[in-house]
Amino acid sequence: QEAAKYEKKVMVLDFVTPTPLGNSWGLGGTCVNVGCIPKKLMHQAALLGQALQDSRKFGWQFPEEVRHNWMTMTESVQNYIGSLNWGYRVALREKKVTYENAYGEFVGPHTVKATNKRGVEKLYTAEKFLIATGERPRYLGIPGDKEYCISSDDLFSLPYCPGKTLVVGASYVALECAGFLAGIGLDVTVMVRSILLRGFDQDIANKIGEYMEEHGINFIREFVPIKVEQIEEGTPGILKVTSKSTKGNEIIEGEYNTVLLAIGRDACTRKIGLDKVGVIINEKTGKIPVNDKEQTNVPYIYAIGDILQDKLELTPVAIQAGRLLVRRLYAGATTKCDYVNVPTTVFTPLEYGACGYSEEAAVKKFGEENIEVYHSHFWPLEWTVPSRDNNKCYAKIICNIQDNERVIGFHVLGPNAGEVTQGFAAAMKCGITKEQLDSTIGIHPVCAEV
Amino acid sequence: MAWEEKQVRGYTEFVQTAQRFHGRPIFALFCGDKDAEGKSWCPDCVTAEPVVRKELHNMPDESVFIYCLVGDRAYWKDPNNEFRKNLKLTGVPTLLKYGTPQKLVEEECFKAELVRMLFTED
Repeated sequence: QEAAKYEKKVMVLDFVTPTPLGNSWGLGGTCVNVGCIPKKLMHQAALLGQALQDSRKFGWQFPEEVRHNWMTMTESVQNYIGSLNWGYRVALREKKVTYENAYGEFVGPHTVKATNKRGVEKLYTAEKFLIATGERPRYLGIPGDKEYCISSDDLFSLPYCPGKTLVVGASYVALECAGFLAGIGLDVTVMVRSILLRGFDQDIANKIGEYMEEHGINFIREFVPIKVEQIEEGTPGILKVTSKSTKGNEIIEGEYNTVLLAIGRDACTRKIGLDKVGVIINEKTGKIPVNDKEQTNVPYIYAIGDILQDKLELTPVAIQAGRLLVRRLYAGATTKCDYVNVPTTVFTPLEYGACGYSEEAAVKKFGEENIEVYHSHFWPLEWTVPSRDNNKCYAKIICNIQDNERVIGFHVLGPNAGEVTQGFAAAMKCGITKEQLDSTIGIHPVCAEV
Repeated sequence: MAWEEKQVRGYTEFVQTAQRFHGRPIFALFCGDKDAEGKSWCPDCVTAEPVVRKELHNMPDESVFIYCLVGDRAYWKDPNNEFRKNLKLTGVPTLLKYGTPQKLVEEECFKAELVRMLFTED
């Protein structure tokens, strides 16, 4: 849409290869269809469940049992997503961007072939190309995985309640999904191969795990599934999962209605003909290395988003990179995308917002003696009356002693962490120091004043 | 069989007609009432109607096109009228594909390209 503003002739080729179970979706990419948007809505559904329980202590009266209907939630979520898909179609058309629901692949210099779902092929040429094909969930490569397991691509539109679920993985996707599934009342187990939330501050990752465990989610640590078999067909059916310890020969078995795989995502760069135009990719990870102008090794081909090597896999980063790229190409701008101090939030039952360095990364980069960590537990006022945990919420900032105690890491674990973090991210972009933070008077009574 | 048109007035008649054709693609155009000379109180509806009619041949086979007059201006302006409350309509004219989130509102209905896209989308 940005390029069309500058009167360029633009075409978008978007195509979703169906999941092993036949699932597909509309225009908008992962975030809109099978990522952030449905995730946050379902997380909200779980939070509302908790709120209903808390509300009794605040005086609300209603019958003992309150139940959750999966189909009602899924229908509302899918309806909203459908309106977003439609909105994008209208927006592209209004801005005169040609849209084809077809699979694009390079066949030669400056040329792509687009194949639609009926197999009809068309060729297109262009001056410049932008690759933003994203990633798809990885499968385990064990017997029964593609036939019986689901991934996040299937979860948000699952036409039946998943029931007793085994979540394989310890990524934020795994923990967020496990979190809201348990929050709506399902029996959830998480199978973790080694650590939780690799790449995130481990001190906080462990607190998140502990909280989830204390609130009814089972964790099986240091095991990996080696086989999935179907015991009973159905929606959902019953699956038997056999798993092996990573530390020995112990084998365990478990029965679940649904097995959700969330062990990682692979870039969609292997089947789009990049070899035909000479674009170099990292053979091992499939990611595309680019320079700081998002340009690949082939000057007229650019790339943004999750497929980039060594860059953050976040929707707003991709959007920002894309907009700035187009402005540099067609509006004479020079601003490059700033990948430093990008705030993120993990929407686990106890939300985690972060910006900047984790404690481990700060120690590694600056040395333990050069950083100072300030931290505190806090008890949200809203949690006092319903007697919710008083020592779980936590905030931590990491400062660089050698640079005026500049805040280089911000971490908060508690309700509305996303909302809290956004403002502090802006402050960090301006280079806020500990002294400035201290001299900012707090708003009371809110969690953020800590 | 090609497509057919049904003309209705008011919310109850609209819902009854839509239910009758459950299972077939249903498109609906909502406009303000017309006076004795056949002119609507809603100027945008006057502009949109010919544009929409010209694209009707693009609807899939077996489609039903419901042309619905919502009521007079006063009824429409009431924030609690049934079209606003139950169908979540926010303005007239509105052209929508019944049972989906796909719709075009007000000036969007003047654009033949968008109307065609609504009729041929899947």
